[in-house]
Amino acid sequence: MTRSVIAELLVLRKRAATWILLGIWTLLGIFFAYVVPYALDPEDSPAGTEQFLPESLAGNLIAGFPFFGGVFSLMLGVLAFGSEYGWGTLKTLFIQRPSRLRVFGAKLIALGVVLVPFVLTLFVAGAVASYVIAQIEDAPVTWPSAWLLVRAVGAGWLILAVWAGVGVLLGVVTRGTSLAIGIGILYALVIEGLLSAFADSVDLLEPLTDVFLRANGYSIAAALGASVDSIESSGPGSYSGPLVGSLQALLVLVALTAGVVAVSGLVLRRRDVA
Amino acid sequence: MSDLVIETRALTKRYGDAILAVDGLYLRVRRGEVYGFLGPNGAGKTTTLRMLLGLVRPTSGDATVLGATPGSPQGLARIGALVEGPAFYPFLSGRDNLSVLARHAGVDEDRVEVVLAEVRLSDRAEDRYATYSLGMKQRLGVAAALLKDPELLILDEPTNGLDPAGMAEMRAFMRSLGGSRTLVLSSHLMGEIEQVSDRVGVIRDGSLVAEGTVEELRGQAGLRVRAEPLSEAARLVGALPAVDRVTTLDGLLDVAVDTAQAPAINRALVESGIAVSELYPQKASLEDVFLELTTNGDERP
Repeated sequence: MTRSVIAELLVLRKRAATWILLGIWTLLGIFFAYVVPYALDPEDSPAGTEQFLPESLAGNLIAGFPFFGGVFSLMLGVLAFGSEYGWGTLKTLFIQRPSRLRVFGAKLIALGVVLVPFVLTLFVAGAVASYVIAQIEDAPVTWPSAWLLVRAVGAGWLILAVWAGVGVLLGVVTRGTSLAIGIGILYALVIEGLLSAFADSVDLLEPLTDVFLRANGYSIAAALGASVDSIESSGPGSYSGPLVGSLQALLVLVALTAGVVAVSGLVLRRRDVA
Repeated sequence: MSDLVIETRALTKRYGDAILAVDGLYLRVRRGEVYGFLGPNGAGKTTTLRMLLGLVRPTSGDATVLGATPGSPQGLARIGALVEGPAFYPFLSGRDNLSVLARHAGVDEDRVEVVLAEVRLSDRAEDRYATYSLGMKQRLGVAAALLKDPELLILDEPTNGLDPAGMAEMRAFMRSLGGSRTLVLSSHLMGEIEQVSDRVGVIRDGSLVAEGTVEELRGQAGLRVRAEPLSEAARLVGALPAVDRVTTLDGLLDVAVDTAQAPAINRALVESGIAVSELYPQKASLEDVFLELTTNGDERP
């Protein structure tokens, strides 16, 4: 299994799309978390200038994961599996020694490993951005506790992992990339976005939104210091519905990840490979 | 150890109600032979090979490959295959592609260099797969099939897209793969099968319609006779007791008869005042047999 994981890491590492997504994600993540709101008018921002300082690093960055980061992660998941159908490489892999589930497992582990630099790079870039702003504002540089940072990095990884899992499922089910990414973005924007927006006024929707990635992702983000005001005003990724407890959110996200991975594995194992 | 490397029993694959890709196929491939799997496009060759590799599940029937269930890790560890063209990561080099497969297969990385050398791709091994010519891609596919030094090699249309020189080279290469290894070679190209195979199976509409050595499939030789007047010659030869059948073909008589009867037929014609300008033995080509089997519906035992 280790050698299979190493093989899959080689594939992901040498694929330009991985680096392109990492670059754009980091660039836009910093742009929307620091550059744009700070450049516009920090005093008008819901949480004031404080949110851009190093002390708010964890909360400010993690707020971008449930939607914005999720879409990037979804694309990564789709590309990791959906492309295999287009190239026909799944066929090549499945006639080597390991079973289908073992190949699937190796691919998932490699994908999970690749998500780590996605989280860490953004946090490093965020630290630099917050430090620069602190210097500009002549504010004290106080970093969040290591424990908070570890939890934020872990939560960021989990939020990306569940979205990547959805991408894997869509890639496997549609046996491609274009339709999978289309459906994924449609789900993120329309299904979760619109239904979440109506959850306050339509009682029937509330139990449904409780299992949405957006609701649970933002609940974890809020527990780690993300400003609720900024969550409610973050454009297409905004969420104004009810937040749930962080433990419940954690369990739901873990269950959703396990669920989409299990269904993907089942489909991949049972279906003919053309 | 069983003599049979591949054995299928009533292997069937149906896609929905409309498409019957493989229809109750019984196939037996013996250890160490080069088995040519011949059939027109859409006859079910690739679907059969996919089922033997576990890529496609049969609708009914079953198969054993190297004593294992198709697609099981135990079986796959001893099989190398190239099915319906090579498929690799376009952004990886040839070497990296093989390295990925070697790691998945649990094969020593040294094998990568060995097989690259075998297919003469060592000097282009660092280039991206996307930059390879069709022939190079095909050769990399064969290299991947050889990675595990397999007992059974399954090559589906290995000369597809190759120029004549590339095809000749690939055929020579396939002949060199023999020895203790069993080779299943699927193709719709007669020459390829004829030159390489020990035994041939012909598939049509998902069923095996003939099986045997190339010589067996081509059947008994007959005689071709050019004589004048032709109609008189046909009547006379047709009346001879040793002759099974006489047909006229492009100004010649095609005589279904034991070739040892040639002197007697010649004598009979000459003694009847018929001028014989040519008389020679003629066997049906594999192509003739193939066309007969796959278009006319006449099955051979």
